[in-house]
Amino acid sequence: MNAPEPQVKEIASSSEPHGVGARRPFVDGIEKVTGTARYTADLPAGNALVGMLLRSPYAHAELLEVDISEALALPGVRAVITGDECDMPYGVIPIAQNEFPLARGKVRYIGDPIAAVAAVDEATARLAISRIRLRVRELPAYFKSPDARQADAVLLHEKKQGNIEREVHNEFGDVAAGFAAADLVREDTYECAEVHHAMMEPNAALAAWDTERGHLTLWSVTQVPYYVHLTLARCMKMEAAHIRVIKPFSGGGFGHRTECLNFEVVCGMLARAARGTVRLLQTREETFLAHRGRPESQIRIKLGLKRDGSITACQAEVVQRGGAYGGYGLVTILYAGALINGLYDIPAVKYDGYRVYTNTPACGAMRGHGTVNIRFAFESLLDAMANELGIDQIAARRRNLLVAPAETINGLRVTSYGLGECIDWVEGASGWAARKGKLGRSGNVSKGLGMACSHFVSGSAKPVHWSGEPHAVIVLKLDFDAAVTILTGASDIGQGSSTVVTQIVAEVLGIDYHRIRVIANDSAVTPKDNGSYSSRVTYMVGNAAADAAENLKRLLVTAAARRLQVEESEVIWYGEAAAVASDPDRHIPFADIAEEALVGTGTLNVKGTFTCPPEFQGGKQRGGAVGSSMGFSYVAQAAEVSVDMDLGIVTVDKIWAAIDCGRAINPMSVEGQVQGAVWMGLGQTLCEETVYENGRHMAANMLDYRVPTIIESPDIEVHIVESMDPNGPFGAKEASEGPLSGIMSAVAAAVEDATGLRVRTLPISPPRVFAAMQEARNEAAAAAAEAINKEQAR
Amino acid sequence: MSMPDFQLLRPTTAADAVAMRAANAASRYVAGGTDLLPNIRRGLVEASVIIDLGNIAELTHIEFGSDALHIGAGTRLATIAGDAAIRSRFAALAQAAEAVAGPTHRAAATLGGNLCLDTRCVYYNQSEFWRESNDYCMKLKGEGCRVAKKSKRCYAAFSGDVAPALIALDAEIEILGPNGSRRIAIADFYRDDGMAWLTLAPDELLTGVHIPLCDGWTTAYEKVRVRGAIDFPLAGIAVALKRKGDTLEELRIACTGVSSRPLAVEGLDELKGKPLDAAALAIIVAQTEIAAGAMRTTLVEVLYRRGVAPVLARRITERLWNAAA
Repeated sequence: MNAPEPQVKEIASSSEPHGVGARRPFVDGIEKVTGTARYTADLPAGNALVGMLLRSPYAHAELLEVDISEALALPGVRAVITGDECDMPYGVIPIAQNEFPLARGKVRYIGDPIAAVAAVDEATARLAISRIRLRVRELPAYFKSPDARQADAVLLHEKKQGNIEREVHNEFGDVAAGFAAADLVREDTYECAEVHHAMMEPNAALAAWDTERGHLTLWSVTQVPYYVHLTLARCMKMEAAHIRVIKPFSGGGFGHRTECLNFEVVCGMLARAARGTVRLLQTREETFLAHRGRPESQIRIKLGLKRDGSITACQAEVVQRGGAYGGYGLVTILYAGALINGLYDIPAVKYDGYRVYTNTPACGAMRGHGTVNIRFAFESLLDAMANELGIDQIAARRRNLLVAPAETINGLRVTSYGLGECIDWVEGASGWAARKGKLGRSGNVSKGLGMACSHFVSGSAKPVHWSGEPHAVIVLKLDFDAAVTILTGASDIGQGSSTVVTQIVAEVLGIDYHRIRVIANDSAVTPKDNGSYSSRVTYMVGNAAADAAENLKRLLVTAAARRLQVEESEVIWYGEAAAVASDPDRHIPFADIAEEALVGTGTLNVKGTFTCPPEFQGGKQRGGAVGSSMGFSYVAQAAEVSVDMDLGIVTVDKIWAAIDCGRAINPMSVEGQVQGAVWMGLGQTLCEETVYENGRHMAANMLDYRVPTIIESPDIEVHIVESMDPNGPFGAKEASEGPLSGIMSAVAAAVEDATGLRVRTLPISPPRVFAAMQEARNEAAAAAAEAINKEQAR
Repeated sequence: MSMPDFQLLRPTTAADAVAMRAANAASRYVAGGTDLLPNIRRGLVEASVIIDLGNIAELTHIEFGSDALHIGAGTRLATIAGDAAIRSRFAALAQAAEAVAGPTHRAAATLGGNLCLDTRCVYYNQSEFWRESNDYCMKLKGEGCRVAKKSKRCYAAFSGDVAPALIALDAEIEILGPNGSRRIAIADFYRDDGMAWLTLAPDELLTGVHIPLCDGWTTAYEKVRVRGAIDFPLAGIAVALKRKGDTLEELRIACTGVSSRPLAVEGLDELKGKPLDAAALAIIVAQTEIAAGAMRTTLVEVLYRRGVAPVLARRITERLWNAAA
């Protein structure tokens, strides 16, 4: 053997956490920072054909003819496909599949893909696209929910009366009695503009067709390789076994990629049709047209409060403009109702939700899925009513805290709850008592303070595809090299999931990080995972990782005992070494333990799993599974703003955010996630909105769709409250979605504190604030004039 | 969309550049490329020959003469924004250069490029797919104006930040053509036409600007935008003011982003020799309102853009007035 003799590593006794709780940089950070990370668009495939989509210029039309003959005849064109290529509708929700990769019969929004081309280069592909002839019969199109809901509106989809995709009506507790018992009942309406994820990396896919075997390999930007895999098999009528899906480095998702998207299937179909390899890159505009963001929402909400601030009842109606296809829509409209609960103790809730089909790009899941806009409305109204009752806004929230363990009226189980501590910290850190309402005005600038609370699930307790499998599986491979390879299907989309599973494995095994590597997201190699959505990975995959590591550790302790010739109970486990309890000088290094563990069996593949028990999977009501989770994150945040009283420009000066994420497996990563969520929430709060004119996306670029810049990003101070969830891995819960949804109302409250004006429409953009202040000035002037008139009349 | 194929020419003198431009009808100058290249990629501009001005040393000078500051058109905006003498003596110019887009843009973008910036419109700065599906517009390939349906003219807005500062500073533009160079007042460099907003002939090259020394003046530029970086001005205002005791000796105000050319606010002469009191400020507000007749060329409401331009003009003037006391 040429290898150096394994050394027993000095076991350092450090007070710094080694695995769980360690502030470690991401395990894949070096590649990202140095630029060596390869994203889908960067993958080497020199022979790849260029794929391109023909998109509908019509908002709503019957497709009478798609003539591809001229395009096909062009030299250099290898394939042209249309809706004829796939007659299987798809959609992430099995009971709401109504989208085709390429339109069949009808187009339903400007940008709906109609045909696709694979050609030897971009210019040829572009020319071919321009040679495809369309014959259509245009139909009336609807771009706003009320228009689509008119009685005589043409239906976008058959059998969906009133263009309603899904109605939700439920009542828990006795709402009428709740309002009757209240000292103050108020109702108000709120409106939120549609927003988009605007993740850094535009959409892209690469597909290689193996002509001899009839097999397909697809690389894509997805958050859910498993759903993409299923959809490819369905739409291409292939056996899943003949498909391999790989997710390389990904430049963010935020929910845009939590369902299979049309370009992924089209790329696969093009590769098959062209009998080769096709790269399909989407422009930023096309990425905006794939949309799947947060829907434009109209919210009417009513609350009943006792004089002391305790909530007696809540009634809400939510209308979401869902866009042209189902997507995640019915989950979004269910979430908005279900997660009115779970933050505060509310004895009665009535909810009416309407998801509407319109001729705009389909909405979908976006960070804080379903909960964000209703939370803006709820917290805003709670503030207004607290003001009316003369109660401090923090006190009003404290009055309504849950006590864990609790089960909400709609069957959500709250097993850990640190909201009270979050509020305490925010109150102290922001100097609330001394500063709220007292920041005053200097020159043109008026300052204010506001706060709000929010929460989110740690994974949906019931998976989208119920197959009877565990919710999560992790495989650990230990081989002759004494390296531990983590095989995971969980998609690291920048949130740090690979880092979290690595830290958990390092914690359980106690071994060095250089011994551990992660291989993720290759269906040929890694275990199936449902994907990165609804903040499920840390909780579910983290638990599976802990389970796998425990299972491996058991084998290693057995092996160590055998090599040391002692009973297992005599083994002291140091991670990088094992020793004999009664004779600590007798020890062996990890490499020897691994070697012993492989005797007679060879390579070890050790599995760990996690399954949510049925009692966590929600109430018995229809749709009751949506919102159910084993653990909820809790967040309180305060915002300090400056408002330019002349120009209507709101500047957020500071955010304090306290999060109960249970145990912070990596506190640095948690802080990053919270800051990212706050920042993303500020975008929706201050300036982001999609705009359609006659169905045409007016802001499908990064100039007109205004994601905040670093200049708009305030100092965001994060405080972690570790409530220690009884079921989360080492007590952990989610940390990345809950911190988003309180921001809108916290800022709105701060703007009210500064100006006296409560903005009920998002975004709180300069023109909106400017107009509101002008209106207030006009009203004040009119009132003054009237007072003078009255005085004179007297 | 990727860049279409093009031939790249790299002259080392301004005269050579002008000759190359004259010899190639389908050519365009490129300096920083921050405006031209995105426009080419979007199919807004076609150019089979691109003449790179980046190697022409004579275009990159900053020189203080006895009566004027001379700046070459190839000078980077970041250089202008960071120049200590310009910052202290021509604050409006430095502030305007610093207000352009983001740091990486300013590191590449040039003075000349910003002055020649293509006019912008939400119906024009879109992809080929978008414009085709909207039947194009008169600025390119189509008919009529999408901003004002019955208009015979194009309302695309000039959105450069530097031009209004130079108008307020009373600068002159130097132009080189096949028959030699000429100098014009910067206001005459522009036309109120979204399609033909420059008086520059196709075979001419903007080579530099001359700014009269303005010691004793105070000047400033500010723009309103939704984001603190990247965004073009929804309304931008430059003010140059000379105060003598309690009276206003000189006042020039110019705006950008609110029409197809940057323009001076008119009707301010009557304020000269008087104190800057409430009545004077009211005139400034009223005259700026007249100048800032923004049309719907952006997604941000017209009323807002028209409303904030006078506010900016009043605020900056008041601030400079007080600073000059």
